[in-house]
Amino acid sequence: MLNDIFIAPFVDMVEAPDFLMQVLWEGLVSGILYALIALGFVLIFRSSRIFNFAQGIMVVFAALTLVGLFAMGVPAWISVGLTLGVMFVLAVVIERVVLRPLVGQPDIILFMATIGITLFLIGFGETIFGGENKVMITEELGIPTGDTVLEPFGGLLILQHLDITVVIVATLLVAGLLAFLNYTQMGRAIRALGDDHQAALSVGISLQTIWVLVWFIAGIIALVTGIAWGARAGVSFALEVIAYKALPVLMLGGLESITGAIVGGLMIGILEKLFEIYWGQPLLGGNTETWFAFVLALIVLLFRPQGLFGERIIERV
Amino acid sequence: MKHFTKLATAVALGTVLGTAAIAQELYTPNLAYRTGPFAATGIPLMNGQADYMTLLNERDGGIGGARIDFEECETGYSTEKGVECYEKTKGQAIVTQPWSTGITLQVLPKTNVDQIPILAPGYGFSPMADGKVFQWAFNMPAGYWDAADMIVQYLESEGSLEGKKIAFLHLDHPFGKEPLPVMEMHAENKGFELLPIPVGLKEMQNQSAQWLQIRRERPDYVVMWGWGAMNAGAITEAVKTKYPMDQFVGVWWAGHDADLKLVGEDGKGYKSISWSFPNMDAPVMQEIKERVIDAGLSQTNEEEMQGVFYGRGLVMSMILAEAIKNAQENFDTAEIDATQLRWGLENINLTEERIAELGMEGMVPPFSTSCANHTGHSGGWMLEWDGTKFVKASDLLTANVEGYSDLIAEASAEYASSNAPWEMNEECSATN
Repeated sequence: MLNDIFIAPFVDMVEAPDFLMQVLWEGLVSGILYALIALGFVLIFRSSRIFNFAQGIMVVFAALTLVGLFAMGVPAWISVGLTLGVMFVLAVVIERVVLRPLVGQPDIILFMATIGITLFLIGFGETIFGGENKVMITEELGIPTGDTVLEPFGGLLILQHLDITVVIVATLLVAGLLAFLNYTQMGRAIRALGDDHQAALSVGISLQTIWVLVWFIAGIIALVTGIAWGARAGVSFALEVIAYKALPVLMLGGLESITGAIVGGLMIGILEKLFEIYWGQPLLGGNTETWFAFVLALIVLLFRPQGLFGERIIERV
Repeated sequence: MKHFTKLATAVALGTVLGTAAIAQELYTPNLAYRTGPFAATGIPLMNGQADYMTLLNERDGGIGGARIDFEECETGYSTEKGVECYEKTKGQAIVTQPWSTGITLQVLPKTNVDQIPILAPGYGFSPMADGKVFQWAFNMPAGYWDAADMIVQYLESEGSLEGKKIAFLHLDHPFGKEPLPVMEMHAENKGFELLPIPVGLKEMQNQSAQWLQIRRERPDYVVMWGWGAMNAGAITEAVKTKYPMDQFVGVWWAGHDADLKLVGEDGKGYKSISWSFPNMDAPVMQEIKERVIDAGLSQTNEEEMQGVFYGRGLVMSMILAEAIKNAQENFDTAEIDATQLRWGLENINLTEERIAELGMEGMVPPFSTSCANHTGHSGGWMLEWDGTKFVKASDLLTANVEGYSDLIAEASAEYASSNAPWEMNEECSATN
């Protein structure tokens, strides 16, 4: 037993390094996608202290809007533009109709409001687009779909062009977001609001504008995530469940930290894949990915309750 | 007072007329799932079921003069909502169609008390085949253990399975685990290694770990027990990892055209066992098109209509309609109750001639039921994806039920004893 836990997995890794590289690559791709979803949560939480339960359904809604518009005969890239427009309108409507009337209410009320947004988007989406599985317009968007086969150490490493594109686009998106948050006036306003709500309002930062902006950015992230996941297994309401994968990422990285979302996503993506392949499948019958990330996050929380990168909040009572 | 009398009269009249109207209908609720993660699978099936009943209502005025009220109660494939739907509809229902193995297992003990037949065509709990124990439950025309047996038979027809390895990729859910007893039995008897690979509900769209395991283990075959989004996830991963499609076989719920269209030509060779086939040349398809779809009474479309799942939905409703007709003729009444429908379900005799008479040639194999045999064990065809659609790749395969009849008897007896007191059909004297 001790051999199976402490020795055999590492022997496997050394004996089949090409397979280990494939596992790490798959983990990296999953991790980047988890990080993207987690970023949507973090941005909204930082600026408004709202845990956005609707992030998952926003991924589905954005992807469905894109393929729905294309199915209506709109050219692919114009569909992307129009989908971004729809996500902007959605951000404005959410701010005006749901959030603004609830300013000053306890956090739990705002959280409940996002559950309401989720239920509305599910019903609205199903009414407009139907529940059938739809094909993502991968080729029409010019996303490469083939693969590159490498033979490291005389073995086999398959790199899907789609996955390579996802890694590049997601990295650029994250880099762009970080640049926006650090080097633009609006970005600094978002960060100021996250650091100190009252102080930010007192210097004239508009809460309404920032809320619309962060919900729109979350919408952009949702669209990119929707395209990436939809290209892998179709666009349907089943995509919503992938948002749950962001929860342990947030627990691990911290709810307020953009760095935490990125590092947490990558850590969970890679570690859960390694654990599943080298320990979960041989020793536990597999399917450990459903719980591994949560256990990992809980262990981290035992030592750092604020997550790896979260801020330690000390309140006087 | 005068107004009150008029109002009371109107209410009384309305109640009488309303009751009369209800009495002319056969209430056959469907616990449907058109929403949620499994909606993509559910919609074509529900459309097929509803359209066949609409055809009967429009063309024949219902069945035996009584119109069919085929109300849907949306479950989203959630077991909790399914049980709520069952409780909500059971008052007037002559049948319940639970539409998930999880929901079936939950309502199974309830229906034995409420005395309402469960109709679970091709799904549910495989030991329901034993009609003496499960007197209110039916999973005709074939059960999951039949499917597992037929798949193993088919693979064996390509060469001995001795020493081979079969990966069993399944949803980590009661449905996905259902065929394991028969797969394990065959593994022991035929000398192949069975490698169960579970897929969690939250991992359906991201099965890279499962397919990395398949790549490492190099199984000779992959048998898939998938549902909903799991199928699309598995098929796209199989293409991605370059697993040979002609060594990849799924159960009948893993043979949905829309899932294969995601990979198109790359999915060529993938197979799925099926007890139904979409025969567009069958007369019923033309009638449905004219009287239901063109009349704007359907939610389906031209493309969906040609798929395996839509055709299967039609067959499911045909089976229910046939049982209703049997009961009406036997008890000489149009307004049958649940007990009479049970008799109808136990006396289905769908011969080739009867299937042709119904305009469904080639859409379902012939089968018959009895009080002891609630599955029918129709057998099925191995369908193969040719890059654009499913085609028949085998003659009719039939399950060797004798081979696992002991398993059925054991599982039935165990279920009855663990749910005691469990009322059985002691009057049934048939042996199969």
